[in-house]
Parts: sequence; structure tokens; C-alpha cells
Amino acid sequence: MGGTASKLPKELLSEYQELTFLTKQEILLAHKRFSELQGRENGPYGSRVSMEKILTLPELKSNPFRKRICHVFSTCDLGDGSLSFEDFLDLLSAFSDSATLEIKSHYAFRIFDFDDDGTLDARDLEKLVNCLTGETDDTRLTAEEMRQLLNNILEESDIDKDGTVNLSEFQHVISRSPDFVSSFKIVL
Amino acid sequence: MELREFNNQVHPTPDYPSPYGSQHSLRLRTVPAQETSAAQFDWASPPEDAEDSNEPRNLRELPLHMGLKRAVWQVQQMRTPVVSSSWNIKQSQTFRRFCEVAKYVLSYFVLWKRGIQMIGGHFGGGVQSYFLFLRFLVILNFLSSLLIAAFVLIPSIVFRSMNFNSTIPTVNLTGVEICLQYDPKPDTLMVFITYVLDLISGTGFMEYSYLFYGYYNNSMVESDGFSYNIPLAYLLTASFYFLFCFICMIIRMGGTSRVAVVTGGGATGGYSTLVFTGWDHGLQGDRTTNLKQSNFRNRLQVDLEEERLKKKAASLTLGQTVSLYALRVFLNIVVLILIGATFYGIAKATQFSQLKQKETTGFVALLLQYLPSMVITASNFVVPLLCDKIALLEKYSPSTTVILALLRAVFLRLVSLGVLLYTLWEQITCEGDIYKENCIPCNYYYNEYKCWETRVGQEMYKLTLFDFLITIATLILVEFPRRIVVDHCSCKLTQWVGRQEFLVAPNVLALVYSQTVVWTGAFFCPLLPFINTIKFILFYYCKKITLFQNCQPATRNFRSTTSNFFFLLVLVFGWMLATMVLLYSVTKIHPSYGCGPFRFYPTMWEVVPQATEMLNNTSAEFLFYIGSQKFSIPLFIFSCVLLCYVSALTSVHGKSVALLKSQCKLEQRDKQFLVRQIEELNATVQKEQREPQQPQRGTDTATRWNQHDNYAFTRDEDPRPY
Repeated sequence: MGGTASKLPKELLSEYQELTFLTKQEILLAHKRFSELQGRENGPYGSRVSMEKILTLPELKSNPFRKRICHVFSTCDLGDGSLSFEDFLDLLSAFSDSATLEIKSHYAFRIFDFDDDGTLDARDLEKLVNCLTGETDDTRLTAEEMRQLLNNILEESDIDKDGTVNLSEFQHVISRSPDFVSSFKIVL
Repeated sequence: MELREFNNQVHPTPDYPSPYGSQHSLRLRTVPAQETSAAQFDWASPPEDAEDSNEPRNLRELPLHMGLKRAVWQVQQMRTPVVSSSWNIKQSQTFRRFCEVAKYVLSYFVLWKRGIQMIGGHFGGGVQSYFLFLRFLVILNFLSSLLIAAFVLIPSIVFRSMNFNSTIPTVNLTGVEICLQYDPKPDTLMVFITYVLDLISGTGFMEYSYLFYGYYNNSMVESDGFSYNIPLAYLLTASFYFLFCFICMIIRMGGTSRVAVVTGGGATGGYSTLVFTGWDHGLQGDRTTNLKQSNFRNRLQVDLEEERLKKKAASLTLGQTVSLYALRVFLNIVVLILIGATFYGIAKATQFSQLKQKETTGFVALLLQYLPSMVITASNFVVPLLCDKIALLEKYSPSTTVILALLRAVFLRLVSLGVLLYTLWEQITCEGDIYKENCIPCNYYYNEYKCWETRVGQEMYKLTLFDFLITIATLILVEFPRRIVVDHCSCKLTQWVGRQEFLVAPNVLALVYSQTVVWTGAFFCPLLPFINTIKFILFYYCKKITLFQNCQPATRNFRSTTSNFFFLLVLVFGWMLATMVLLYSVTKIHPSYGCGPFRFYPTMWEVVPQATEMLNNTSAEFLFYIGSQKFSIPLFIFSCVLLCYVSALTSVHGKSVALLKSQCKLEQRDKQFLVRQIEELNATVQKEQREPQQPQRGTDTATRWNQHDNYAFTRDEDPRPY
């Protein structure tokens, strides 16, 4: 952190404390790390950091969902996954210790929705499973196993039998898992 | 919807770069050219049921971008009437800030927070749960040692150093003079090796010290209106210590069991839960991620394979099922025989050790003293290994195998401790028969056990110390060399053996075992909780070092929440064993005549009735009333009623969950019915109009409605131009 790093104004700090689940220390740490990502340019806090730079963070570098996470939290019109500081805070807030189950499940659903159509259909689920098992060819499940797995998943979670998992069905599955809140966590 | 009203109002230009403006225009903008023809789901619209806009809490829970949340916040601020409720809101805000500051300050006092977080990040939730359990035990032991120090140790030190005259009750001591002789004071000059041996085994200079029961006096000090009854304090401190530990465990279990009940055991809905919630986003590093991914793949493949096998097994012939069950029964008998042989071995070793202890000196004596501990440790190491191999033959499903292995290991550990204690009891009280030859004058085996409580305390002290030494020795002599060999020697054998895997269950059981030993021994060796605190703190650092240097992340997945509950349950079993030992020795066995605070009482419990006699009438009557049947039976009935009520409540909640689930299904069917009606209406409208372009548009809308039955689909949006 350079000596001329821009400091976060106090009103903004309290506003962020109101609007996110982060504590003051977490917001300041996020500001510090974000400024480091911005590099030498001491731009205003509103300038964006490209997705490649965000993905150099050690917390995100090896996460298989890193690109989806950037796309979901990015408010950039170009859709290139770049994050502003406020987007970064949104990201940390959703992944923080004190975020509620509803927020986490909402964002988890959006991250898993690879084609952004509001539901998880078979293609989304297949891409999800491939992310979980490994992205190279020799780490994927066989076609037969994938078919059996997708059938099982849809049978268990698709309550209205429309072939897709919507948000409420997803949240119902999530609510039955006690470990979700503790595993859906990224702490700087 | 209030946000849409806000859209239509004229609002002042905000003085910060507002992404809201661009978001606003994005809604009305045409969809940029995308490959899919499906409409983009508009996540920027707030959910329908964000009703109570006066709660600042709800702002954080809105799944919107920061800019939108800020806009909603501004709406709220503008809507808040200035006069009446602003003070309330300010008060709630300041209270919330205060809570946050308090939480931040308290987080400094959380022991090892950063370290455990790092462990969880690199090795996952299962290993982290072991360290959380360890931390809980460290805090429990530390608080108990403070309790014991405050009420027993420090008064004893004070009274001894001030040489208060203690009022010894006059007891008829004829016939038992021989029992009064107890002289453990060692020679002043000692060879160094004797010094070390005494330190390790609690004999010699260690025996007559604050470490063991025998050193405490039965002083009942009364001076200037201040009275302190050391025997009563000793007994009451011990009982409060047990109660305190029990309450801590119950509170901790309450948290985990609530989660376990709500999720219904977690066995159902396996695949979707695994896929949706299985990824741990806290993991860092490529190696860990790759391992976790291969772990996932293995688990999925194993589960899918198991399902296929189950389908095949359902179609097993009668002969095959019978043979499988016969095999399982046979193997269970084998396991029981194995465990029974272990118990026999432990009993024999304890008897042998007790008999031969007086006859030999030096290193052989030390070995003999540690013989029971060695046999217990060896059996705790060998028998679970054998049980694992046997379990492979039994062909249960993987989850059942894990639970069965844990149950067997627990059974083995706790009951082997029980066997050791039973053997000791046999020797001390001449198998319960106080009229046997050895026990005649003193009601306990005087010749061998001049101060039997100290001897029991010594046994527990030795068990604790031995456990610690073995763990450190395993670390140094097994785990580090294994890592060095695996890393530097690349032959097939070492690669097959691989690096050490940190197995959570055996480690947790080791903790439960040592804690049970401490509970059993705390009455006879008051400094044992303090020694145990230090031991567990050293454990934390040693296990952490070995984890990061020598271990690889587990390939088998570990369900942490239900297992946490199971570990606490096992700890409660250990506590019950210790309580039984305490209750029996306090009420049944005659205290030693020559040592300890209960010197001249027929049983240790006698202190309490004597003390209550000295109270004034009202207090004595109150205590008698509480202990009487008039009070305890209604209390018991009331607790039963409460229990029934709570379990009924739980089952009602479960039923309402099932009811809501079926209602959800019905509602979706209603919606599909309505959609079909709309389709039919559209079709009739098309037929009537018979125009070339409109059918195109109509089918587009119809197909889009068919594909997306989402409740939050915005209804007032213009249809896309194409």
C-alpha cells in the first residue's frame, strides 16, 4: 500500500456498514486489498478492476466458480465481469460470516445458473457438476454416470416436475443442509 | 412496488456516481445480442415480499447491488417521519453499533481464531471440527482448574502455611490405630534417576504434595466469624465441577442438535445436497482444490456405484441374503471376542502390576507401573485396525461402516478404562467384601493401599502422562519419518502408502478418552485438570504442526455437523462413567484413615449431613424439603411433561414442513393449469384473427411462458422486439 493511498471517507464507511454484512475492519481490509489490485493508479474508489486482476486474489484463484462469481456480482454494462469496489463489497458481504441463509442461497443459485435464465436446467447442472469434479477431460464423470446423477438430482429437488430447479426449490434443498452456511464463506 | 413508484417520482440528482441510473436504463434497453433466445432473468427487481420498509435490518438482506440498496435506503430515509420515530431508529442504530463493537472486542479473546480458520481453509470442515472440539476442551479444563484452585487449593495452601488449629471431630479410634500410619515422605537425598521416575509415576516426592488427595488436611477452620470447612469444600467443589462440565456440554450439544433435527439427519436428498452445498469456498490453493475435486468425483462415483449395487442387491436370491447375514453375525461375534480378550488382558495386567509394584525398584518398577497404560494403548491401536479390516468383509454401506467403526472404538476405549477401574476397586475393597481377611481393621486393603485415593489418583495421572508421551512419540517417530520417506524416496511402495492422512474420528476419540480419564481422576488428583489444560494446549500446537507438515487432506468426506453431535454424545458417556466412579467412591468406600480431608468419616458423604446439622433451622429445613419426596416427585413429573411437550412440538414442525412441500407442488400444478388455459385462449384468438405475423408473436410468448414458471417474473415488462 503506497503512502498516497486514498482513504475511505467516514460517511461512506458507515453507509457500507448499513448496507452490507461486513464489519468496519472487514470493509477497511477489503479497501486495502482492492487498492492493491488497482495497482499504482490511485483512481477514485468507483473505478473498476478487470476480472483477470480480481482472479489473482488467492481466495479466488483456485475456486472453480471464480468466473461465475465475478459475472454475478459485476454491475458493468459490458458484461465482462469487472468489479467496482462496491461490487467487491457486495461479494464479500454475501460470502461473509454473518450473511443470512437466504442471501447466500440466492447468490449461490445465481452463480450456478450458467446461462442466466433464472432456472437450473439440465445443462446448468451438468456444467455445475463438471466444475465440481474438475475441468479437464480425464476428471469428468462418464456420460452414463452423468445421466444417472442428473436424473437423481432432478428427482430429488424438482418438486413441480418441470425439468428445472427454480429458486424456491433450490432454497428448499439448501435449507436441509446444515453445512452450507459454513462452506459458502470467503474471508479475506 | 415501492421501488417502481420511486422510478416514477421526480428525485433529486444524487451526488455520487449512481449505477442506479444505468441500471434503470438497462431495464428498458434492448437485450444485447446473445446466443440464447431465452429472456434474461431480471435479478435487479426486488423480491415481492420486502414489505416492512421501516426495518433497517432488511436492507442487508435484499439481494441487490449496492447502488440499488442505497436507493432503497434513501427512500426509507425520506419516508421516515422526522419527529416521532427518529429517536427510536437512532436508538436501535446505536444499539446495533454497540453490539458490533462488543463483538469485535470479544473476538480478540477467542483463542486461536486465526489458526483454526487457516486450518479450515486448507483442510476442510472435518479437520476444523476436531480443532474446535479441542479448543472447547481446553477452555473447559482451564475454567475447571480455576474453580478447583479457588475453592480447594488456595484455602489449603493458606491454612497450611498459617498453621491454623483445626477442630478434629472426636471419633472412637480404638482398634484402627494401625490404619493411621501413613508416611510417604521420601528421603531427602535422591539419585537423579529416582527423581525422574518419581516425577513420571507420581510417587516419592510427588506423592505427598498438592497434586494428590493425600496431602489435603481435614481442617475446619473457624476464627473471628470466618469459617471454612475444607472437607465440605472439597466435596462440593468436585460436584460443582462435574455439574459445570455437564452444563457446558449440554449447551454445546443443544446448538448442534437443533441443526441436526431440522435437517432430519441429512441422509435424504443426498445427491442434490451434495452437488449444491458440497463445495467449500474457503479452500485456497491449487493442490487443495484439485484434491477436493478428485474427492468429489470419487464420492459421486462411489455413491452412484452403491446405488447400482443396491438395486442389484435387492434382487439377490434368498440363499445369498442368508449367507450375507450369517457372515455379518459371525463377524460381529469375532469383534466381541476380540474386545473381550482385550478386557481380560487389561484386567490381568492391572492385577499383575499392582501385585508386583512393591517388590521391584528402578526401571523395572516403572515399567510395571505403566503396564496397564501400555496394554490399553496397544489395544486401542490394534483392535480398531482389525475391526476396520473386518468391516471391509461385512459389506455395509460406507456411512454405516463409519458409524459402526466409531461405535466399536468408543466401546473399546471407555470400557477398557472401566475395566482398569474395576480391577483397582477389586483390589482396594477386597472385592467389596469388607469382612475379608485383608480388609478387616480398616475396611480397605490397608497393607497395600495405605492411602488408596492417592493411589487411584496416581493411576489416572500415569494414564494422562502416558497418553501424552505416546502422542508426542508417534509424532516424532512415525509421522515425520513417514513424510520424509514418502517425499524423498519414489518407489512404488512409498507412493502406495502415501502421506499421513489426518483421520478425525480416532483423534477425537483420543480426546474423549483423555477427558474421561481426567474426570475420573480429578477427585483424587485435584491438579489434574490444570495438567490436562497444558497437555491439550501442547496437543494443539503439535497437531497443527504435524497437520501442515506431514498430512494430506482427507480423501474421504466427513459430515461435520452430525458427527459433532456424536462426539459430544460420546463425551457425555465418558462423563457418566466418571460420575458413577465418583458417586461410588464417595458413598460406599471407606476413606483412608491416614490421609486426606475425610480422614475420620465413615464415608466421604458424611461431611454433608454433619455440616447441615450445624446450619440454622430454616436452612436445614429448606434443604431437607428439597431432598424429600414431596418435592422431587412433582419435579420429576413436571420434567417428563416438558419433555413430551417439546418432542410433540418437534414432530408437529416436521409434519408442517411436509404439508408445505405438498402445497408447493399443488400450487405449481395450478399455475401450469392456468398456463395451459392461456395457451388455449391464445390459440382461439389466433384462429379468429388469421394474420400472418401475430401467430409468430403469440407462440413466442407462449413458449416463453412455458419455459419459465417463475413466480418473480415481471409482468409489466414490454415483450422483447424479437
